[in-house]
Amino acid sequence: MKRKGVFLLLMMTMTLLLTSCWSKKELTDLAIVSAMGIDETKDGRFHITLQIINPGNVAGGMQGGGGSQSPPITIYSASGDNIVEASRRASGRISRRLYYAHTNLVVVGERLARKEGLNTLIDGLDRDPEFRNTSTLVIAKNSTAADLVKTLTPVDKIPANKVLKTLEFTERKWGENVKTSLQEVMKSIESPGRGAVVSGFRLVGNPQQAQKLDNLQESAPAATLRASGIAVLKKGKLVDWLYGKPARGTVWILDKIQGTDINIDWAGKKEAIAYQTVRQKTSVSAQVKNGKPHISVHTRAEGDIGDMEVPVDITDPKVITKIEQSLRKEIKKELRVAIERAQKNKTDILGFGEVVHRTRPNQFKKLKTEWNDVYFPKLDVDITVEAYVRRAGLRNKSFLSGVKENQK
Amino acid sequence: MVKVIKTERRVLKSMPSFFKDRKPKKKRPQGDENQTTDHQIERIQVSLSGNLNMIEQKTGNSSDVVIREIKMGGDSDIKTAIVYVEGIVDNQSIQEYLLQSMMKDDHKEVINQQNAIDLLSKDIMTIGNISPITNFDDLFASLMAGDTLILVDGVDQALSASTKGGEKRSIAESTTQMVVRGPKGAFTESLGTNTAMVRRIIKTPDLWMESLKVGRVTKTDVTLMYIHGIANDKVVKEIRQRLHRIDIDSILESGYIEQLIEDQTLTPFPTMYNTERPDVVAGNLLEGRIAIFVDGTPFVLIAPAIFMQFFQSAEDYYARFDIATSIRLLRIFMFMISLIAPATYVAVTTFHQEMVPTMLIVAIAAQRESVPFPAFVEAVLMEITFEILREAGIRLPKAIGSAVSIVGALVIGQAAVQASIVSPAMVIIVSITAIASFATPSFDMAISARLIRFLFMIGAATFGFYGIILCLLMMVVHLCSLRSFGVPYMAPFAPFIPVNNGDTVVRLPWWTLRQRPRLITANTVREGTNQYPHPPASRGMVNRDFEEGDNNEA
Repeated sequence: MKRKGVFLLLMMTMTLLLTSCWSKKELTDLAIVSAMGIDETKDGRFHITLQIINPGNVAGGMQGGGGSQSPPITIYSASGDNIVEASRRASGRISRRLYYAHTNLVVVGERLARKEGLNTLIDGLDRDPEFRNTSTLVIAKNSTAADLVKTLTPVDKIPANKVLKTLEFTERKWGENVKTSLQEVMKSIESPGRGAVVSGFRLVGNPQQAQKLDNLQESAPAATLRASGIAVLKKGKLVDWLYGKPARGTVWILDKIQGTDINIDWAGKKEAIAYQTVRQKTSVSAQVKNGKPHISVHTRAEGDIGDMEVPVDITDPKVITKIEQSLRKEIKKELRVAIERAQKNKTDILGFGEVVHRTRPNQFKKLKTEWNDVYFPKLDVDITVEAYVRRAGLRNKSFLSGVKENQK
Repeated sequence: MVKVIKTERRVLKSMPSFFKDRKPKKKRPQGDENQTTDHQIERIQVSLSGNLNMIEQKTGNSSDVVIREIKMGGDSDIKTAIVYVEGIVDNQSIQEYLLQSMMKDDHKEVINQQNAIDLLSKDIMTIGNISPITNFDDLFASLMAGDTLILVDGVDQALSASTKGGEKRSIAESTTQMVVRGPKGAFTESLGTNTAMVRRIIKTPDLWMESLKVGRVTKTDVTLMYIHGIANDKVVKEIRQRLHRIDIDSILESGYIEQLIEDQTLTPFPTMYNTERPDVVAGNLLEGRIAIFVDGTPFVLIAPAIFMQFFQSAEDYYARFDIATSIRLLRIFMFMISLIAPATYVAVTTFHQEMVPTMLIVAIAAQRESVPFPAFVEAVLMEITFEILREAGIRLPKAIGSAVSIVGALVIGQAAVQASIVSPAMVIIVSITAIASFATPSFDMAISARLIRFLFMIGAATFGFYGIILCLLMMVVHLCSLRSFGVPYMAPFAPFIPVNNGDTVVRLPWWTLRQRPRLITANTVREGTNQYPHPPASRGMVNRDFEEGDNNEA
């Protein structure tokens, strides 16, 4: 009996050991993919470009060289009928196993986004156990995704990081771009009557120059990457690019802005006072009257005065009220522009449909199918804006006031 | 004697669940225990020369056995002899209280062979403890224990005078369990000194001691100490019985006893606590535990022991509770580090690269780039190197010890990294592990963590984090299965006793710790109610009525 027990135990231990370390992967056998670019070939297949980190050249403080001799990334590319095939095919060119768990950036070429749309490629990324749904999606504007992925960047050695951080900070500090993850894009494409927004990124300069280390040797690199516009996706396909005020208005309504700068005219001078928002909150609500949906957008912004080019006496509360009023007008104008642009595109990127859905689920069912094409473009939108000046920086009275008085 | 066995059997039957692992095994004949087995009791002869011959023969004429023959009585006709072993007796007391009083005695006229023994013990010798001996076994036992024998010709009896003494180490500061605050003195190798040190702390007649001799050849004094009324009688009985069962030639250190009486031998975890601090012993006695003192070692055994005890330091109870609690939490954290830090490194670098921030994994990958070994081999290599260094450092004489640390620091700190044998990250992990294991207050627990660490590393290398969790579960299950003298090792977590949790991972203020550990003690009331300090009510600000014209300046 006892011997049998020992035998059984031995067998069980053996089976444990026989499995070996099947999911084991040594760090030195991994090719860490930091970014993936997806393009379309001429014959309609997928072409992927993989940005692989050379760890030694990124963190290589060890040997004292600093790793400036060779680039921090290496590019491999392959094509196939779908992304999985292309990825598998790429293994013939790389000495290591491709590792997608750290791929935080997916770049889609503009041509692919316009023609095929994103719908066909997202499933492969979503299904993969290694690939993260939280990775950021970006559309390469005016270029192929390959060119964008290949570009070397200064300061942030890994280009994928540079793109991510740029988006993150510009969304917060300027608000003309958004950082959307794969997951968010998937959700908004999926949701009834909703268009998606994806940030655009652009390569400024010569693509050939951008891949060279020489590019980084200059203080003002000839070729750089720049966040540029917001892509509007309708049913997964790229239909329009937003820049400037419509872009910022869109981000504003999506309630993703944290801080930005708004200029107002004063005393006949254009853009005379700069106002920096510190916090803002936008809420969208919906009513349906007689089967007709009605949207109200309410924005509340608080901020400081950052700059004034004409002397203004802000110790006077009336002046402050006046500034606030013109701020409201200005913000309202921006939001209006954004909404009109979206209505012109017949794409509900602002999520108004969802709001209607939330407040009147039953009535939205009738509107759902034709929301984008019929109801959304004709939607009545009320915009109310509250704007407050909270602080005025370190100064009350500008030195300009002194200059003015002394010149009298 | 038969009666004794019977009562013991009954005790065992009456508490089957309490001492679960103890089965009533076949008893050896009681007479054998702690006795020389191969000769029957031999009485002391009448003839002095015969007795002295016998002593010389039995001790093999050893040079340190001193036999001094004296003639007593008015006509110097009573032949007596004094026998003692040099070095383990107190020379001064032999000279002053034995030799002087015997040789210059005032009873010369009265003394004769018949009343010699009586007179010697009652009138002549001015020494504390004197007892008559009739057989050779007792004679040799007391001779070897440091007593002095007085033999008289024509009497089949001997006197044994207590003259234990000789050189012994004086009380010094503890070297293994140091504290910043608290008593400094540690136990010495002398049993009498040690028990006295505890007696000096606990001044109650209820502090009971039982002595016995263990070891067929060494006849080592072993003393059982407990507080009657606080200690659990069942446990006392059990320990006593287990001590009596020991039949071994020698007991050189308390570790012998520990290994011969512990509940569970197949475990890396210590189930008995040892300490060389009298205050720790006193504290444990007051919680109802039992101390086992062994002559010749400063390390006193304490049983029953529970897991959390090994993370408690004497200072926890002297420091204020918030400090003590945070330090104790830190210790448990460090114990976990010393267990799983290298395993985590192995798991992260070979299985779970996705769980680390990108830049960190790139940094680690860059370091591992030039290392030819898999992470597991690298980790084992470094851990073993460190264990070698540590072992070498402990054994070496102090003068060479510093050389080891220099070589070690160079080898594992710098050269191994430059030679691309290990990565710098691994060096950090090994150092943190090492420091963490040094910080565990109990050496026994730290050393078991050292051992289990390698198991964890194997688990991590085969299954990643899943393997670590698996090992952790196995460890917890094993810990829960352990018992120390009937007390569950993981008490008061498993079984969960809420009241006793005040002194485990946290140490609550003294005024809340009203109960002694319930599973260990027979009397749980430690302190009276309402021990919360009540300072007199606040008088608020001191208001003096200032008279007009007074000024408030100093």
